[in-house]
Amino acid sequence: MSHRLPPLPGEWIDRSQRIEFTFEGDRLWGYAGDIITSALWASGRRTLGRSFKYHRPRGILSLANHDVNVLVQHGQQLNLRADVTPIAAGMVLSAVNTNGGVRSDRNSVLDFFSPFLPVGFYYKAFHNRRWFPFWERLIRNISGLGAVDVSTPHLRTAKRYDFCQVLVIGAGVAGLAAAIAAAEAGAEVVLVDENPRVGGSGCYQLGADDRQAEQVQALVQAVQGCDRIRVYTSTVAAGYYADHWVPLVEPDRMTKLRAKAVIMANGAYEQPAVFRNNDLPGVMLASAAQRLIYRYAVKPMQRAVVFTANRDGYRAALDLAKHGVEVRAIVELRSHLTASELTQAVTAQGMPIYLGHCLYEAQASPAQDGVAAAVVCPVAANGEPQPQFRQTIACDGIVMSVGWAPAANLLYQAGAKLRFDESLQQFVPDWLPPGIFACGRVNGVYNFQQKLQDGKRAGLAAAAFLGYAVTPTAAHSVWLGDRTESPSHPWPIIEHPAGKNFVDFDEDLQYKDFPNAIQEGFDNIELLKRFTTVGMGPSQGKHANMNALRILAKITGKTPGEVGTTTARPFFHPVPMSHLAGRGFSPERHTPLHERHAALNAKFMLAGMWRRPEYYQRPGKRREECILAEANAVRHGVGLIDVGTLGKLELHGPDAAEFLERVYTGRFRNLKVGMSRYALMLDESGVVIDDGVVARFSPEQFYFTTTTGGATAIYRELSRLNTLWQLDCGLVNLTGAQAAVNLAGPDSRAVLAKLTDLDLSGAAFPYLGVRAANVAGIPARLMRVGFVGEWGYEIHVPAESAPALWDALMAAGADWNITPFGVEAQRLLRLEKGHVIVGQDTDGLTTPREANLTWAIKMEKPFFVGQRSLQAIAQRPLKQILVGFMLDPNYTGYPPQECHLVIDGNDIAGRVTSVAYSPTLSRYIGLAYVKPELAALGTTFSIRLSDRSLVTARVSPTPFYDPDNQRQQETVLTTLQEVSI
Amino acid sequence: MNTPLRLSPIDAALRSLQGHWGEVNGMPTLMHRPRAAHWPVGIADLSSLTRFGVKGANAAAWLSQQGIPVPQRPNTWRSLPPGGLVARLGLTEFLIEDGLSSNVAPQLAARCQTPPARVYPVLRQDLALALVGDRTQELLRQTCSVNFQAVDVSQHPVVLTSMIGVTVTIIPTEMAGQLVYRLWCDGTFGTYFWKTLIEMATELGGGAIGVEQVPFNTASERGV
Repeated sequence: MSHRLPPLPGEWIDRSQRIEFTFEGDRLWGYAGDIITSALWASGRRTLGRSFKYHRPRGILSLANHDVNVLVQHGQQLNLRADVTPIAAGMVLSAVNTNGGVRSDRNSVLDFFSPFLPVGFYYKAFHNRRWFPFWERLIRNISGLGAVDVSTPHLRTAKRYDFCQVLVIGAGVAGLAAAIAAAEAGAEVVLVDENPRVGGSGCYQLGADDRQAEQVQALVQAVQGCDRIRVYTSTVAAGYYADHWVPLVEPDRMTKLRAKAVIMANGAYEQPAVFRNNDLPGVMLASAAQRLIYRYAVKPMQRAVVFTANRDGYRAALDLAKHGVEVRAIVELRSHLTASELTQAVTAQGMPIYLGHCLYEAQASPAQDGVAAAVVCPVAANGEPQPQFRQTIACDGIVMSVGWAPAANLLYQAGAKLRFDESLQQFVPDWLPPGIFACGRVNGVYNFQQKLQDGKRAGLAAAAFLGYAVTPTAAHSVWLGDRTESPSHPWPIIEHPAGKNFVDFDEDLQYKDFPNAIQEGFDNIELLKRFTTVGMGPSQGKHANMNALRILAKITGKTPGEVGTTTARPFFHPVPMSHLAGRGFSPERHTPLHERHAALNAKFMLAGMWRRPEYYQRPGKRREECILAEANAVRHGVGLIDVGTLGKLELHGPDAAEFLERVYTGRFRNLKVGMSRYALMLDESGVVIDDGVVARFSPEQFYFTTTTGGATAIYRELSRLNTLWQLDCGLVNLTGAQAAVNLAGPDSRAVLAKLTDLDLSGAAFPYLGVRAANVAGIPARLMRVGFVGEWGYEIHVPAESAPALWDALMAAGADWNITPFGVEAQRLLRLEKGHVIVGQDTDGLTTPREANLTWAIKMEKPFFVGQRSLQAIAQRPLKQILVGFMLDPNYTGYPPQECHLVIDGNDIAGRVTSVAYSPTLSRYIGLAYVKPELAALGTTFSIRLSDRSLVTARVSPTPFYDPDNQRQQETVLTTLQEVSI
Repeated sequence: MNTPLRLSPIDAALRSLQGHWGEVNGMPTLMHRPRAAHWPVGIADLSSLTRFGVKGANAAAWLSQQGIPVPQRPNTWRSLPPGGLVARLGLTEFLIEDGLSSNVAPQLAARCQTPPARVYPVLRQDLALALVGDRTQELLRQTCSVNFQAVDVSQHPVVLTSMIGVTVTIIPTEMAGQLVYRLWCDGTFGTYFWKTLIEMATELGGGAIGVEQVPFNTASERGV
């Protein structure tokens, strides 16, 4: 533990808790509060991971949640970012993306092949169809981050909503000041920061000045003592959505926070300098070195060279020196230096300053796992390095501080307009949408005291926006900032003939890749991004995009402002899939009879949001056998099916009949009280969208059903039409409130007769009649329907009474061996009867003519929805028509399936919509759309099966079963009942 | 058969719970659960309360004629003198729900068998719940995008919104000094809705409670 510093005030580690863990087989330890990277660095490990493409050794770059070359795996947890993940006792860690371990990764041989992996390699490799499989195999074998354990349990991660008046994103100096100002003005504030502790750079970019830390601590205490401020730490504000809706990603949940105003105090990302071997372990950003010192009390290196172009580099040099690091040189990229307290302090400590110099190259240690020396040289007036004057300075670490890029992703997403400020060399907000405010570094303000002022200004401005009384100066929404010295250098990029000067550490993109891509024509920022893949790695360009933009600007002769930035989309920081999935709410509807079905071994299927019995499993029987048994019971005895999923609507009022005349194709004005009628609904284009049965219970009261899937949409549409037409009627949706069953079969009347006083004779209660009566003591509506082709009753009761009704029917039917039947049996029975199912035998383009439903259309009516379209399309020739078909009764092959194609010659001539084996007819029957020339009865056509073989079908009349509706005749029923007895 | 003529939409889900059962308005009802008195989140099934819905242009006038105190503003509610409440769900739609002992809704339903013009009865078969406890807000935050902390209970608001994907009506109200959220949804979503809420409530240290553990105002015969 030779690299651990003595205790520091404000350090994040708890030295009383020693934590042991394993990394790549080595047993190591750290302190509670250490992150994986700090613990490894403290233990002397320098190669912490391997780069994505060339498998070069990598160490610390940012120590700010962006070191994507140091991803580790811990058991089932993949791609943990070592620079933010705390160590835990017993962790067994390994670096991802290695072949043989991080120390001796066999894939590091790829570094030698880098000349053969030019920019746009993937596109070029896959362009050649012949070589595609080769490259695919090769790349699949090499690539991949971590090993997925498919047995990883489903994490139920909570999502929640939260609300506040002012959301402050970023709890650095400006963010703290903003939160305090807004809260003191009266606003309820939420302050979020991705770090476990607030304070931001105010706690580590000290320049060896402890007074600043004390000021920050005072701010922190003010925040903690304020009742109006809630603080979320370890929380990433990962995106911005309309109306100030911001997802806050916490370690174990996501909060969707709605604010009334948002203050963006997101800060800025320190940017790397581009020079040869700038990726060696030991080369790091100045802010990373300072975090390592002040948060984790770890000495970043023993002898450092600081490569800088701003004041922050001098602060870093002073911080390093204060904590025992020998600063061998300050390499100042700028040719002129404004004297300040910082430069004087550096000079006073004897640190040599190489003015107008660049860091030309980092030399690797013999083991290639660290820095041995820094090669520096002067920079010419044109910005070119002059290597002929180079000097070599021995060191084991290089610290970079050459510029910043604003963390403006959320500002862009919020619709802010940013401009490139030449004096700052940074994009800054030029216009902010209402309710959005910016302060601190993202606003171009870097000086500590000015950040305090800027934060306070933004906080007051947000409070004023919400109507709190504040001083008039708070009205300014954009701060002009200090322009005396730019925090960013316009060209921190050092060309080198040997390359390996990396611009994008995620994707191993070197400087030369950019001129090459631009030369190939990818000369705008969006194209350049996609061709080079810059900014497309896990850090999303936070350390690469600005330098790439500068390169493009320089080569194309534009300013960075003219080049512009790529689109910043949410989420700007990776979010675990478990957070996005949340609990996975999937609303599901059950009829009141669900438990009855479950008790009868129902196999459930989803029908829209409903879970319905597909069939009831019988012991030792196959699915098909169960379905056939259920169908047979209905044909020859009595069956009971839950049809409560049907849409059920009620219409009251003097204009109720008129309303139905308009929305359905049939006539309902002349529908007699106590009777029902099939109803077909079209949309404006004449396409079939729904059907059902309309029953008239009084002159001004109708009760009607819709399809299961259409209920919600139909009710919504009918409500809209009712509002539009202003007819004197009212619509009530009873879909959930009413349960319904269909008691069907020759014995259905006998069963029902045991439970009601209603006269069930054919004369008193004819086919298509409707009645209100008590069934088993329950007020019910009864409808004589024939959807499955047998004598039957739909019985509708209040949902709470449905179990009682079911139990009573099952008990009453026991003597007739009453059989519950499911959706599949019902589909078979209605197919035998030739009834169409809207949505199965029709699609989003089917007209009534095509579906053979013209009998349900009354074109002579003055108006109905879709009528005008039907008139228009009546003139056009039919392209397809629905026909019934049968297979040869001796056919024993694999049966056709729904959606199998009808083939005529070598052409597609239609498709099958319904098909089933009919036990009544002892053969396969079905419905299919065919070309009109194939529709004549007796015509044969072919159906292509899944194995591409063909089976011959013959066009047959429908209904296949009981074409004369004899089963609804009382005389037939009586005969059948006598047979059954 | 002895199947009750009234069963809650979540009867099966409740049956597995330990507790004392009774009958309210002919519906088997979980009355009391042991050790649930001080849970941070308790959810009670109040589906057994009788209720009645009515809509139409003349619904408000008709209710007034029946002696019902009609809320003047949409999306507000009022107490019924014998217990229970009347909620105005929009301009022309109302929900009337009884308290534990009152009988207003069945009477209204009976009188509305042959309704006058522009008065349309609405059969209500809701899953009706009450959410009580200190951490109810947290449960609501995980399930609903409405900011209930900003809702002024004294204004008697009725919130029509969506919760875990289901359309719901919510009334935040004070009962015996406690904040209670009354909630109604389509009973066919009941099992999903109940199980999901109970799973979350359990994580928050609570769970299902009985009707008697809802702090009804005793002064108004256990109405809201």
